[in-house]
Amino acid sequence: MMKEVIAFKNTKCECGHQNPVGTVLCEACGRPLEEQDRESNEVLEMRYDGMARRSQRANPNFIDRIWNFFSSVKIAVYMIILTLLGSMLGTIFPQENTFLNIDPSTYYKETYGTAGWIYYKLGLSHTYESWWFILLLVMIGASLVICSLDRVLPLYKALTKQRILKHKQFLTRQRVVYQGPVELESKEWVEQASVHIKKRGYRVHTLDNALLAEKYRFSRWGPYVIHIGLIIFLLAVLARGLPGLHMDQHVAFPEGEIKHIPNTSYYLKNEKFTVEYYSEQDLPKEFQGKNKVLPKLFKTQATLYECTANCNDPSKQPTLKAVDHHNIEVNDPMDYKGLKAYQFDYDLTPVLRSVKPSLVDKKTGKDYGTFQLKIKDPERNYKVGPYSLELKEKYNDFGLDENGQPVTKTPNPNAPAFLFLIKGPNLPAEGVHYFYFPKQIDKERFQQDAINAKMNGGSVPLELDVKGMGNVDLSMSTTYLNIRVDKAMPFVWVGAAIVMLGLILGFYWQHRRIWLRIDDGNLTLGAHTSKNWFGIRREIAAILRKMNLEVDEKSLDNGGNHS
Amino acid sequence: MSGLLNFSSNMFVVAFFLYCAAFILFAVAIMGRRWSNRDPESHRRKWGNIAFGVSSLGLVLELTYFFTRWAGGGHIPVSNMYEFMSFLSMMVMVAFTVVYLIYRKTILGLFAVPITIIIMAYAAVFPQEVQPLIPSLQSYWLKIHVTMAAAGESFFAIAFAAGFMYLLRTVNFSSTDKKDRRQQRWVEIVFFSIILVISFIITVFAFRAAGYESVFTQTKASGTAGQTTSVTQTVEYKLPPIVAPYQSKIESYQPFLGMTKPLFSAPSWMNGINAGRKFNTIIWTVISGIILYGILRLIARKPLGRAASPFLDGIDPDDLDEISYRAIAIGFPIFTLGALIFAMIWAQVAWGRFWGWDPKEVWALICWLFYSAYLHLRLSRGWQGRQSSWLSVLGFLVVMFTLVGVNLVIAGLHSYAGTN
Repeated sequence: MMKEVIAFKNTKCECGHQNPVGTVLCEACGRPLEEQDRESNEVLEMRYDGMARRSQRANPNFIDRIWNFFSSVKIAVYMIILTLLGSMLGTIFPQENTFLNIDPSTYYKETYGTAGWIYYKLGLSHTYESWWFILLLVMIGASLVICSLDRVLPLYKALTKQRILKHKQFLTRQRVVYQGPVELESKEWVEQASVHIKKRGYRVHTLDNALLAEKYRFSRWGPYVIHIGLIIFLLAVLARGLPGLHMDQHVAFPEGEIKHIPNTSYYLKNEKFTVEYYSEQDLPKEFQGKNKVLPKLFKTQATLYECTANCNDPSKQPTLKAVDHHNIEVNDPMDYKGLKAYQFDYDLTPVLRSVKPSLVDKKTGKDYGTFQLKIKDPERNYKVGPYSLELKEKYNDFGLDENGQPVTKTPNPNAPAFLFLIKGPNLPAEGVHYFYFPKQIDKERFQQDAINAKMNGGSVPLELDVKGMGNVDLSMSTTYLNIRVDKAMPFVWVGAAIVMLGLILGFYWQHRRIWLRIDDGNLTLGAHTSKNWFGIRREIAAILRKMNLEVDEKSLDNGGNHS
Repeated sequence: MSGLLNFSSNMFVVAFFLYCAAFILFAVAIMGRRWSNRDPESHRRKWGNIAFGVSSLGLVLELTYFFTRWAGGGHIPVSNMYEFMSFLSMMVMVAFTVVYLIYRKTILGLFAVPITIIIMAYAAVFPQEVQPLIPSLQSYWLKIHVTMAAAGESFFAIAFAAGFMYLLRTVNFSSTDKKDRRQQRWVEIVFFSIILVISFIITVFAFRAAGYESVFTQTKASGTAGQTTSVTQTVEYKLPPIVAPYQSKIESYQPFLGMTKPLFSAPSWMNGINAGRKFNTIIWTVISGIILYGILRLIARKPLGRAASPFLDGIDPDDLDEISYRAIAIGFPIFTLGALIFAMIWAQVAWGRFWGWDPKEVWALICWLFYSAYLHLRLSRGWQGRQSSWLSVLGFLVVMFTLVGVNLVIAGLHSYAGTN
């Protein structure tokens, strides 16, 4: 109680105004409140017009201390510098997410040696996802909120209740000051001056012998608008981490195939993929004849389908409805209701889709007929002439393990192989096993005939043979699309736009104020601006010149901080 | 090369020489103040106006270069290192013109015009052919993002010039006090860094004019146990190889000053084919930089900082401080918009993510954080004059690393074609 009394006593100004604790300049007349400060001739500290801030509370409790910590600009600068240094560290070696398929625990050591190993062990190979980096960003966010609240409220109060007549010391201790005698009667001088000041866009308030002129006050809100924008931006970025708001996957789409986009109800068909290269004459001379290829265009003609029925029932064909068509190019993604498909990569290796082999008698060459064999989802039974073929086994990427047993090495249809059980005339009752490699290269590589002979203890009288390329269905290329959903994006853009608005308000305009009073034929003028002192000095010199007072612009400078 | 492109290159060269002339004229305007039988103020004003006229003419010609190359090449010329650097040099002149028209300080020309000259000369180091655009660059965002970013950065260049001038004006070069000595040393280091850049350009052009070339091959085995494939790469040195690439063979070696083979090989951690060549360039730059610096010291007979400081006599340091700050205040929003926001929009359109922590993106963010720290320190902590001038000098270093260093050292998605 005692303390408060003292505090009250100290903050009462001679003009009678009662100021809150922590106030530097009287809220009403602008007179410095501290005894020592009054004796000094230094330029006044005009931040927030000398108002008290919450962070200057006398006896801070626990919450106040946290508030004070985050409201400190010094702390904010430290956090900015730490973020800056942390970001630098992350650029020394490529980050893990630059690569699609690596094992970071070995990659960094192998590629960059010991330095790379240390880099990985310190967790710098994923700097920007590390807890300390995210924590820094969150702390900057907290600082943005608290710093702004701590300052914008007192500043708002100070600027909305300004007095016209200020204490003389308040004027003489501004950074721009002019003092000198005037010839006219004080009220008349003030009236004439106000005309010239108004012409320069100021809003002028006069009170007898005193004048307050002000312009572009909105510029003072610039920094706070920036901070609000940054907060929205940071929140939006953090929100992307929440489930359901963000999806990011790379999907391969072979040409001509309708493929389901995982975790969505959408299907996409790559109608045609095109890649174009610049011709020799398009290239600069230096590149010509050097076999240098420069891509010109990557384009996927895509149709998007939405599943309308039987979506989650594997036994039934889903019902699809085409909903969008777009030529996806780099810089021109497909966008359907927030689902975006970006051209990411491509593969020009042809992929076998289906073949139409004929069943042929090896000796006579008699053709018993053909059947369609789909590589991806083959049917189980086929009937060709008098023969029946039953698919026993299918290998996508045929190979032999160390015991000589057939295995499929990868799920990719690189070397498809099919094991049939053939039954029919002139064959043993239990039938013959027949391995079939649709690709000629695999047939030779794995010695199809030898395998079949070995399996059946002798040569097989029948053979599957694709007669001509007309019986082969190839998908010529595969396009890789990056499928994304990012529901937080609008907020990211709104945040960025607000930041930009604040930057423009704060940097391209300056809040300028001029106070003047005339006492016994002597003019005292003080002026303050948030930025660009050069400009306000020039303006005041011009105004004074209109009032027949010739002053050197530079002589108006009273020293002190040039913030 | 078509006629228009030829005309365009000629304009570039003429603009370059006009800037050089403008630099000399600015020097005359400043140094000639003390010549006999003249009024210093009217001399400065007269020659300053002439110099500004010449530099503006240079800017007009460089703009002509830019637009004729645009017309001749079919796309905006900011897509490789040569084009970007020349664009940046042009924007530095634009920023200089803007700031000069506000403050009318002749001395600013003496420091800002050389920045343009150096950046232009540096641009000419890179291959100058018009290259067709790869798909990811085929976007109107190329125009907006790159030009805006460069415009913002060029204001930081002006802030650097003014900040450095402030230091030259206020550092006490005659004092032997420990604190002053430290300031003097750092000013000297800034001079030396600028000289390094100049000597790099001079060295490259000297050996290019002499047609120097040596070739190395490097064979690298790769692949896992059992199946190894070896790749042989060739690298051409345009500067005499002091250091050979790691584990390489000499294909051809043009002797230089009695040197018939490299003095040593690059260490194992510099195992890339181009790492050795880049290291060699750095060695050459340092050697020629020391020589050039030595020559200048011999001419001046004193540290360069002390030799340069008399030019700034009679200049109000507060004005320099204000110019430096104002340039940053003008450039910061432009930089934010061009280098970050537009960059994010383009990245979203082209790659599907607005931010991917690509080294260039990170360094743009670092620049932004740096100048935010500068602004907070200045506005709220009262860092002015010396402290903030040092920050503006350092800040421009960060900007240049972002523009050049990242491409040469770190690369990533933003690597331009032809940066080797």
